[in-house]
Amino acid sequence: MTKGFFKGEVPRHILIISAIAGLITLVGFLLFYPVPSPPVSKMEHARKTLSNARKEGADTYSTTLFTEAIEYYDSAMTNWRSENMRFIYSRDYNKVSFYAGLSSDKAELAAEDSKNTLSELETRLKQKIGALNVLITEINELFTSYPLAYEVRNRISKGKMLLKESEIAFNNRQYLQADRKMTDAETLLTTSFENASSNLKSYFKSYPEWRKWINQTIAESRQDSGYSIIIDKFSRKCVIYFNGIKKYQYNAELGRNWVGDKRVSGDKATPEGMYKIIRKFKSDSTKYYKALLLDYPNNEDTAKFISDIAKGILPVSAKIGGMIEIHGNGGKGVDWTEGCIALTDREMDTVFKIIEIGTPVTIVGSMYNLQHVLNR
Amino acid sequence: MKNKVLLGLAAVAMVAFLASCGKAPQAQIDATNAAIEAAKAAEANVYLPAEFAQVQDSLNAVLANIEAKKSKLFKNFSDEKVKLDSTLALANQVAANVGAKKDEVKKEAETLLTDIKAVIEQNTKLFPKLPKGKEGAAVIEQIKSELATVDNSVVEAQGLFDKGAFMDALNKIKAAKEKADGLNTEIKDALTKARIKF
Repeated sequence: MTKGFFKGEVPRHILIISAIAGLITLVGFLLFYPVPSPPVSKMEHARKTLSNARKEGADTYSTTLFTEAIEYYDSAMTNWRSENMRFIYSRDYNKVSFYAGLSSDKAELAAEDSKNTLSELETRLKQKIGALNVLITEINELFTSYPLAYEVRNRISKGKMLLKESEIAFNNRQYLQADRKMTDAETLLTTSFENASSNLKSYFKSYPEWRKWINQTIAESRQDSGYSIIIDKFSRKCVIYFNGIKKYQYNAELGRNWVGDKRVSGDKATPEGMYKIIRKFKSDSTKYYKALLLDYPNNEDTAKFISDIAKGILPVSAKIGGMIEIHGNGGKGVDWTEGCIALTDREMDTVFKIIEIGTPVTIVGSMYNLQHVLNR
Repeated sequence: MKNKVLLGLAAVAMVAFLASCGKAPQAQIDATNAAIEAAKAAEANVYLPAEFAQVQDSLNAVLANIEAKKSKLFKNFSDEKVKLDSTLALANQVAANVGAKKDEVKKEAETLLTDIKAVIEQNTKLFPKLPKGKEGAAVIEQIKSELATVDNSVVEAQGLFDKGAFMDALNKIKAAKEKADGLNTEIKDALTKARIKF
């Protein structure tokens, strides 16, 4: 085929020129047509606000707001990425801008909230540490020598340890950890204190009755010009009166669960009441060196025991127990008997010699009232 | 004429190249992310929280810059590549530092554990010598209970230590040590008062 122009045909050079012109126009369009611009400064602001919030501890002390701020920032980034995948001239960064704004707002709120929370927490923890240390001092003063239940004593020890751990966390500015430990310590210490206090108050509730028994026992000794024995459980004393006058006083050891009246056989409690010596055991008849047997249970003990069973306080199968004695083998420094009163063998020699069958033995919770005991 | 056509095509190719050929440094991003995850796994957020946050901030800034560049017609990620390199180095540095910090805390906890065990041993030896006076029984019970609490605390701390939770273990041991030292003083005072040799 020969080169040439046919009728109606556009010359080739015109076509080429047109194509080049088209391309130049396209390139010009690409170069100069405004491209949608992303909210770079807004995103930067959001990022810096988040970073500042983290520095203020918002990731720990204002978790909800901070998490929301992070989620909004992530949404902004996700939208930004997604818009960047689209054709450059059809991108729309409005959502990116919207989420970036929300993220900044939330991060600012989180930073402020964290600052406030931290400040409040610091003040509150400081106050609580002080208050709990005061409570510990009070517990130590009141109950160090009081025979608290093993469980209560354990809870107090645990509470003290947790308070110490809380103080260490507080000093390291680990306030949340300090708060958690403080809450546990507070629960342990306050419940133990309430328990011990109510125990002590309830223990001394019977004091007026004990006082009557004591007066009656001393009066009886005076009247008969004879001996009578008073056992003070709280101060662990065995006091011997003659002719109404205190003649001997010994340290006594009691049943492991000496607080409160004896209720049932095997409860290791020392009974409270007015008793008499009904039998004397020499060394060859007791394993506790020498012993003076009391008339426990007396009529009152039996009546109370029956009533407790009737009320369902004690099971029907319960037994009242017996063989409560004043005996030797004491001096161990702890309450170890099954409910008896233990003296040292040397003291027992004296007591055994002077005390006759029929001698009154009154066992009371305390010879002194609660106020006197607390002020000792 | 042929030359003109070629020139035109070259111009178009150049524009296309400038507009699309600058690729985001995905491999570097992935490497930096992996380094940050490794630092987190090493508990950098627990032992070096400020440094760890700095690495995260740095990566976030680079990722935002990359998106900003992607939003343009002509992309050049050379600055971001340099920044990613330095963020990666920083992440690796934090991971290395966290190891050192952990060792430091571990050593302190270990030393305290040894110290407290010695104090406990001494307390256990001295405890039976305590005077058992008229009010002694309850006091002894109290000390006994507190000694048991210290023992339990040390067992818990040892458990945390064995699990690798050195920071938690250290805090626990510090409290137990203070308590054990206090009890040691209390016992020794009581023995001195009662003129009992120890």
